[in-house]
Amino acid sequence: MITAEWKPIEEMVGYLRGHKKVLVIGCATCVAECAAGGEREVETLAPLLAMAMQNDGNPIEVKSATLERQCEPEFLEAIAEAAAEADAIVSVACGIGMQLVAERYADTPLYPGVNTTSLSIREEPGLWTSRCAACGDCVLGFTFGLCPVARCAKSLQNGPCGGTRTNGMCEINQDTPCIWRLIVERATARGRLEDLTKVRPPKDWSNSPAGGPKRMLREDLRS
Amino acid sequence: MANNSTADFQPQITLLYCRQSLAAEVKPVQGNRAGNGFSVRLVLLPCSSKVQLPHLMRLLEQGSDGLQIAACPEKACQHLVGSNRAEKRIARGRELLEQVGMGAERLGLDRGAGLSLDDLMEMAGQRAEALRALGPNPMKGV
Repeated sequence: MITAEWKPIEEMVGYLRGHKKVLVIGCATCVAECAAGGEREVETLAPLLAMAMQNDGNPIEVKSATLERQCEPEFLEAIAEAAAEADAIVSVACGIGMQLVAERYADTPLYPGVNTTSLSIREEPGLWTSRCAACGDCVLGFTFGLCPVARCAKSLQNGPCGGTRTNGMCEINQDTPCIWRLIVERATARGRLEDLTKVRPPKDWSNSPAGGPKRMLREDLRS
Repeated sequence: MANNSTADFQPQITLLYCRQSLAAEVKPVQGNRAGNGFSVRLVLLPCSSKVQLPHLMRLLEQGSDGLQIAACPEKACQHLVGSNRAEKRIARGRELLEQVGMGAERLGLDRGAGLSLDDLMEMAGQRAEALRALGPNPMKGV
């Protein structure tokens, strides 16, 4: 899922000074799963913003809504009336959903209520960890299903780097397992450790986010 | 009636209490009661874990001066972890209230078993005293 975290409320207050009618919108998909932008979080944030703005000396009227998905145009129509009445929108969806809302309701200023942070899984209740970096050239087939791009602090394509702690954790973050240690362990368990010594073609980084904005075209799906 | 002057501030407390925390012979009650220097609205819950941040924040947005949760002792929760979940939510809620300038003391949780109505009123009174320095909820009457 795409994960996000609330921005500091102080930052949101700064955005909203001068506004009077604010619509807070959430998304019931990824950001709901990571407890940042689903209905529960929207209905918590909306009254908090009202209280924060009251204490800031800039009272606002706050309305709220949670869309099924903010990243699909069809779902955005559900807030057409509320958006028309608002003079600002705060979105707690990921950056994708936020931008679609900003595009659809272009006359109304949109402010982010969250920072979009990663593509993660919920490892356990209250803990989300990265699994994918959307690098555009997946290497999981070589690395026994464990991603060294998203899960190695250095995104090493050959490892371990030598900085693995004696307890198997990363030298950069003691709460993060060294992914190359796990890759080696899985390869060993499958009796295929030799596979890691094979020369692989260079990874194509040109399809990564560093290569500029993506544009994926499928002629067979176009009308 | 809303009271916005600090001098004669009579906090309006909403007390949400777990049904299981009451003594067996105590009949659950709901509704408004007057305390000594405060008033309280009693709300019955099947378990303290039923409290959710959206509900708590809405209550404060709507003008309640303070919220008190009465939960069972840690090892006595009928749902095993219900009161612990409530406690964590309250801790998070207190952090958020501090961030928005409302003051953490507007929200609190205490544990107890075999509680009487007087015990609940005492809890509400303690919450009223804890938040008295903060003054009336600025959202009152908004």
